[in-house]
Amino acid sequence: MTPTVVWVHGDCLAPDGPALRAFPAAPAVFVWDDALLRRRLSLKRIVFIYECLLELPVTIVRGSVAAEVAAFAAAHGARRVATSDSVSPGFAAICRRLAATLTVEVLAPPPFIPPDVPLDLRRFSRYWQQAGPLALQPTPPDDA
Amino acid sequence: MSAPLRRSFADRADLVAYVREQFPEAAARDATVSPIRGGQRAARERLARLNPVRYAATRNALDGAVTGLSPYLRHGVIGLAEVRDAALAAVRRAADAGKLINELGWRDYWQRVYRQIGRGIWRDREPLKTGWPASAYAAALPDDVAQGTTGLACIDAFSQQLRDTGYLHNHARLWLAAYLVHWRRVRWQAGARWFLEHLLDGDPASNNLSWQWVASSFSSKPYWFDRDNLERLSGGRFCRGCPRAGDCPFAGDRAVLYRRLFPQLPPEAPR
Repeated sequence: MTPTVVWVHGDCLAPDGPALRAFPAAPAVFVWDDALLRRRLSLKRIVFIYECLLELPVTIVRGSVAAEVAAFAAAHGARRVATSDSVSPGFAAICRRLAATLTVEVLAPPPFIPPDVPLDLRRFSRYWQQAGPLALQPTPPDDA
Repeated sequence: MSAPLRRSFADRADLVAYVREQFPEAAARDATVSPIRGGQRAARERLARLNPVRYAATRNALDGAVTGLSPYLRHGVIGLAEVRDAALAAVRRAADAGKLINELGWRDYWQRVYRQIGRGIWRDREPLKTGWPASAYAAALPDDVAQGTTGLACIDAFSQQLRDTGYLHNHARLWLAAYLVHWRRVRWQAGARWFLEHLLDGDPASNNLSWQWVASSFSSKPYWFDRDNLERLSGGRFCRGCPRAGDCPFAGDRAVLYRRLFPQLPPEAPR
């Protein structure tokens, strides 16, 4: 199997998150993003996130995210980085940078609404007309 | 690779001291720490107490049975599907969990819009429907709101709670946002940045798009409130003894209040 590291980020801090679950033996890293910290993240939020991290099997570093993840992968001789999905444009940008030197595998958490259902996002009411009945169904056992 | 940060601490005080030392920029601005603890254990304790029926009946009141799960959902410590499944498991009929699941739906919705528009969440989605041009709104957060010194007991308490705990009840957020945007005529982005700094659940999508919903750039009309509404849902705790109870900017006839806030708009349809 391709040597792999897991990149844990602030949008998925679950011990049973999809990337940690798929690669339970892989070394994992979390990077305190210097750019984000400069944009006024309060100490309250930092402590909260830190407490979440202490329940995860991750190495915690601080710096520029893509550079630190790439260096962590290199230190472990890994050519692939696995991570959990996020909708944030910052996440997409980091994945693009990582993809220059590594294979990036993005894993999705169990869906709230079954994937591939087309949804009208113009207003919540339109979205909920379609999504509401689906959201009231429990997660199928295969996806949990 | 940078040197790893510590992972082993004697207790919370030890962790907090270390974080203050490692993140001096943040500590210099405000060294406050929230009583709300991070981690999945804390999240699951809350999840075990989930009561969707009481939630639906009382969630609008400040002391209602809200879940307190938002900081954990925001950081993916637990997922929407897990909370939905727990809600369904806690009721006899799925419909009894409907309101709670509908509120989870708001987060899912904002996340989907964020994936579609990215950094566009910082710009007005649509023109404001307040009758005021965008140029009528101030760019900066007023100091008295940021410091909690407006003299309005409710607004000052919300400001204080935001800075002390990193958490506000949904209605406290709506009232504080409406006060800033419609009474003080401040651009919603200033309030959104302030919330994102402090809220443990501060998520660019839910936060900014909800501010836009209040401001009316992502809804068909501005969200506003009056004193009766706030007094009822807060059990009167702020209005009793408020130094500005005599000149409360939220008090009075709704039609008069509406005309004062939105003088360019036609009168509001009666409710």
